[in-house]
Amino acid sequence: MSEPLLVLDDISRRYGAIEALKGISFSIGRGEVVALLGDNGAGKSTLVKIIAGGLEPTSGRMLFEGREFLAKTPAEAKAAGIETVYQDLSLCTNVDVVANFFMGREITRKVLGVPVLDETAMERVAGKALADAGTRIPSLRTKVEHLSGGQRQAIELNRFVHWGGKLVLLDEPFAALGVEQTRRGLAMIRQVAKQGIGVVIITHIMQQAFQVADRIVVIRQGVVAGDVPTSETSPDAVIGMITGETLAVPDRQRQGQTIRPAERERTT
Amino acid sequence: MNLRARRTLEFVLDNLVWFMLLFVLAVFSLFIPNYFQLGIFANIIEASSVLGVMSIGLALVVISGHMDLSVESVAALGAMAVGILFCSAGIGMGVRLEPEILMVPVSILIATAVGGLIGLLNGFLIVKVKMNAFIITLAAYIWVRGLVVAVSGGRSAQDLAPAIRWFGIQRFLGLPLTAWIAIACFAVFSLVMSKTPFGRHLIMIGGNETATFRAGIRVTRNLIIAFVLAGAIAGLAGWLLVVRTSGATANLGVGLLFNAFAAVVIGGVSLKGGVGSLPGVYAGVLLLSSINTAINLMGLPSNFTQVIHGLLVLAAVLLDTLKQTIRQKLA
Repeated sequence: MSEPLLVLDDISRRYGAIEALKGISFSIGRGEVVALLGDNGAGKSTLVKIIAGGLEPTSGRMLFEGREFLAKTPAEAKAAGIETVYQDLSLCTNVDVVANFFMGREITRKVLGVPVLDETAMERVAGKALADAGTRIPSLRTKVEHLSGGQRQAIELNRFVHWGGKLVLLDEPFAALGVEQTRRGLAMIRQVAKQGIGVVIITHIMQQAFQVADRIVVIRQGVVAGDVPTSETSPDAVIGMITGETLAVPDRQRQGQTIRPAERERTT
Repeated sequence: MNLRARRTLEFVLDNLVWFMLLFVLAVFSLFIPNYFQLGIFANIIEASSVLGVMSIGLALVVISGHMDLSVESVAALGAMAVGILFCSAGIGMGVRLEPEILMVPVSILIATAVGGLIGLLNGFLIVKVKMNAFIITLAAYIWVRGLVVAVSGGRSAQDLAPAIRWFGIQRFLGLPLTAWIAIACFAVFSLVMSKTPFGRHLIMIGGNETATFRAGIRVTRNLIIAFVLAGAIAGLAGWLLVVRTSGATANLGVGLLFNAFAAVVIGGVSLKGGVGSLPGVYAGVLLLSSINTAINLMGLPSNFTQVIHGLLVLAAVLLDTLKQTIRQKLA
């Protein structure tokens, strides 16, 4: 791999006196799936918001495709190719499936110089994308408020798969999904990564992380407590990193680890 | 329930206010002597033009999840600005432009610009400075009306320039041009809301502001535009008001705000934002207007109008709740 897709360098974020992130450094390669693990309140969601442009870091820098990049708004992040699926769903339940699928990216045609929504084209594209992903929704013109939690999450997942971009951030994307849908969702992630898109997935379910991720990054109390390739670690070791047991015995843990990306950055 | 029945029911629920309007018109036509005549219906449409235009602006802001209490005062200020400039009696300065017809676009421009400016200020304070829309627009409701009283010194302007006045008198297909302006506004903004990305974004912002922000929609910009539009449209309503009354007084349009809110709510716009359509609002306006006409025809003291409007708003909110319950059962 030539250069990492995204490099986080010493990112920190304070909320008043509380330091949610105390200098996070790691990197994500193209086509790599990184599982971001950590206990509640470890700072995972804060980190995702910073990468996605929803929140500005107090300090630190970010390199995206080798260039310094810090999105000030989600729109900027999106324009740069960073897609995000948040844990609290980002759907407008008062409009239909098609409108949600195209939120902020509507297909328009000009009528007398005025952009007008091209509903037929949008319905066709959204219908195809959902069908390809095996999502069954009775009617694309149903308002999202009438859909189940699983259907809603499926729409969001299909949306990111469709729009792709270069980096995808998934904040607990499977929380409301059933077994079969989760399996499909994980397959979707692998498929997206195969296209060369970097994926960061936050999850609480160890099994999912090991199923889908190439690397596991553990955040604990605002710092990176572990950054290991999935193949070189075990769920027990990761749980140790999450709860902080292994911090007491750092040497043993370090043996199992590859060089942390932050260090790699500095050495190369 | 099969799909067909469900679709029908949804259609009825979505357009409930139109059915109510038809029902009310039918009942009035049957039971009130002289109600059923074209002239009366034209009158209903005519009488609702000012309120209708004002309700459009209000509806835009409410659909996008906010509130604008200032529309009534803004309309009055727009009216007063036009009145002072183009009236020749009272406090009017009697400005004349050559050719005379030029006064029409210029006066419209002034009224909408005055309204748009206040809308911009409201929008800036609410969206950028993140102050509460209710408080900010309540303040504007008070200070803008105060400004109207202050600039007019409590006196009035009369004798609007005939070239502008012409709009209030001239008829086309039995309706005065002012009514056509209201209808055109409804048509244009209905299309904007349902067919353009801007309208779609406003509806989605009203539904879930966070989601639209995350999706990269420029929420701040869209919301400020909505407030500016509400102000400008209120200014246009003020222009219609000055044309209809051929002058401007300091208390012009007092009480319109509550009727506008009533129309918006009756029209099916949810005060929570994200729900509602402009054709529905127009039906709400017409419904209020037809009830007013009925009260006039029956010779009831007009004091009752307010009681009935109030009850109607209550009924509309009740209906809205009922609609939501039915919808939830459908889902």
